[in-house]
Amino acid sequence: MFQNRKEALALALPAALFAATVFLVPVVLLLSEGFRAPGHWSISAYIDFFASPLNRAVFLRTLKLGFLVTAVAAVLGYAAAYAIVPLPASAKGRMIGLVVLPLMISPVARTYAWIVILGRTGIVNQALSFVGLTDEPLRILFTETAVFIGLLQLFLPLMIISLISALENLPRDVVPAARVLGANWFQVFWKVILPLTREGLVIGGTLVFTGAMTAYITPAILGGSKVLMLETLLYQRVTVASDFASASVIALILISMSFAANILLRRIASVRRKS
Amino acid sequence: MKTTLLAGTAALVLSAGFAQAQEKTLTISVYAFAQDEFKEIVYDPFEAQCGCKLVVETGNSVERLAKIEANKASPVIDMAVVSMADALDASRKGLIDPVDHAKLTNYDKLYDFAKDPNGDGMSVGYTFYATSIAYRSDKMTVESWADLLKEDVVSHIAFPNVTTNQGPPALYMLGKALGSDTANLEAPIAAIGEQKDEIVTFYVKSSQLVQLMQQEEIWAAPIGRFAWAPLAKLDLPIAWATPSEGQSGGMNVMVVTKGSQNRDLALQFMDFWLSTEVQTKLAEAMVDSPANAEVQVSDEVANNITYGAETAESLDLMPSAMLLDNRDAWLEEWNAKVGQ
Repeated sequence: MFQNRKEALALALPAALFAATVFLVPVVLLLSEGFRAPGHWSISAYIDFFASPLNRAVFLRTLKLGFLVTAVAAVLGYAAAYAIVPLPASAKGRMIGLVVLPLMISPVARTYAWIVILGRTGIVNQALSFVGLTDEPLRILFTETAVFIGLLQLFLPLMIISLISALENLPRDVVPAARVLGANWFQVFWKVILPLTREGLVIGGTLVFTGAMTAYITPAILGGSKVLMLETLLYQRVTVASDFASASVIALILISMSFAANILLRRIASVRRKS
Repeated sequence: MKTTLLAGTAALVLSAGFAQAQEKTLTISVYAFAQDEFKEIVYDPFEAQCGCKLVVETGNSVERLAKIEANKASPVIDMAVVSMADALDASRKGLIDPVDHAKLTNYDKLYDFAKDPNGDGMSVGYTFYATSIAYRSDKMTVESWADLLKEDVVSHIAFPNVTTNQGPPALYMLGKALGSDTANLEAPIAAIGEQKDEIVTFYVKSSQLVQLMQQEEIWAAPIGRFAWAPLAKLDLPIAWATPSEGQSGGMNVMVVTKGSQNRDLALQFMDFWLSTEVQTKLAEAMVDSPANAEVQVSDEVANNITYGAETAESLDLMPSAMLLDNRDAWLEEWNAKVGQ
């Protein structure tokens, strides 16, 4: 298409320069802040960060919620996608529309709706006491449970969409074939569906995990300062303590964990493909 | 003919543009709240009076101070409004200049405590507020700050996070109620830490409280008086406590950036803001409580803001230096006892 490589490079240059100046340079500058000590480079900011019990607790909580949300989203996502894929085209379109709908509403509005739903006088507590499961309203708001529910609802659509496109590429006959050969439903899923749709799981999993780790509004509103996550801690370090070194440490942790999650999921997918 | 007309129009447009470029510009840095009211009551009338242009930058005080610090060499902001403690911080960092009181015609009308709040001549108070407890009078009573931690009440309160402006004064008063009157706030932070699982949340923005009160998620919270009006409007029996230990509070002040090119204009603007007329209008709009002692308001307005010399004198304000010097230690203590 291009006469030579130079022409292609020249065309790519403006966009590359733009990305480099407004994105790469600031990110590198920001991240280098965490390695800066008066007069020399050092990793002391990282050692200090992990020396604090609070920071360790926040780190582990963020990791835990990230994994939990991803795992539950995968289970629910497979169920939903498996139900949607065989539908006739028009019904499928409507269902996908419904799945995508929450993504079109501002996360702030969605999260505030959860405050109403999860509150002491909210629907969840009313239902629980109506059925007789609880005597007095449960405290759900401002707990890890609330953050988990909020994040799951926020990112589940991304998992469902990824899995729908993966399941659509699944050859139609493989499931009946496995059944005929005597596999139970669990074996069908584990040995047939899962290996063949792993690409979708990797994409969905990366999106959900990265999203859950780096979401700010949901943990800030539903968890508050009682359920600090890395992102809300980062905000606190910058706006309250003007502690840019810790903030830069947190930023690097978040970026590394997103990359790590992606690499891990890809490896799993490629290992399965080879076997 | 056409060409002449075009040239003439072009010249007119150019000269108008030039005249506009010549117009004086004053850049101010303010809190983001109630900007519609400020525009109507303060900014627009001042622009009309001075024939200059106001550029308004908004944000929380940390962001705004960081910006002033970043542009220290060639200041962009001419004047800023910040909390008393932040003004002392800015003064220590050499970011602001002394305020020339002689150029403020309304200076003598201010309450004495607003004239030079930090005692260093670097700021002038323009509004102040009380910090006490807003509570559901049908569910509980508040005689002391320590009542917040009573067994049947504590699971229904929201407490301000130590990182907010209301956090330290609320902890300070709670400390007094617990019999510890020191700057380190160890006792009240420990008391909160023991009950952290019971307390509904540690709020960061007072606007959150309206929904929490409305949903009966909470019965009480220590708040600044400026956040009272929306709570009072709820269809619930909510009262303002007058605890036996007293009320705390805070004051916001005006400062002039060091090296500002528009110092006189900035002082002119501050003087305008401190005038009886503007302060009265701001009070009537329930935006800011007046620091100008000449301001007279109706009882209805007075009940919704922090008003009058008597109220002002009764407030137990924390000294700026105490706030500033202990901020990091409190946050550390809080994170260790409450944050985990």
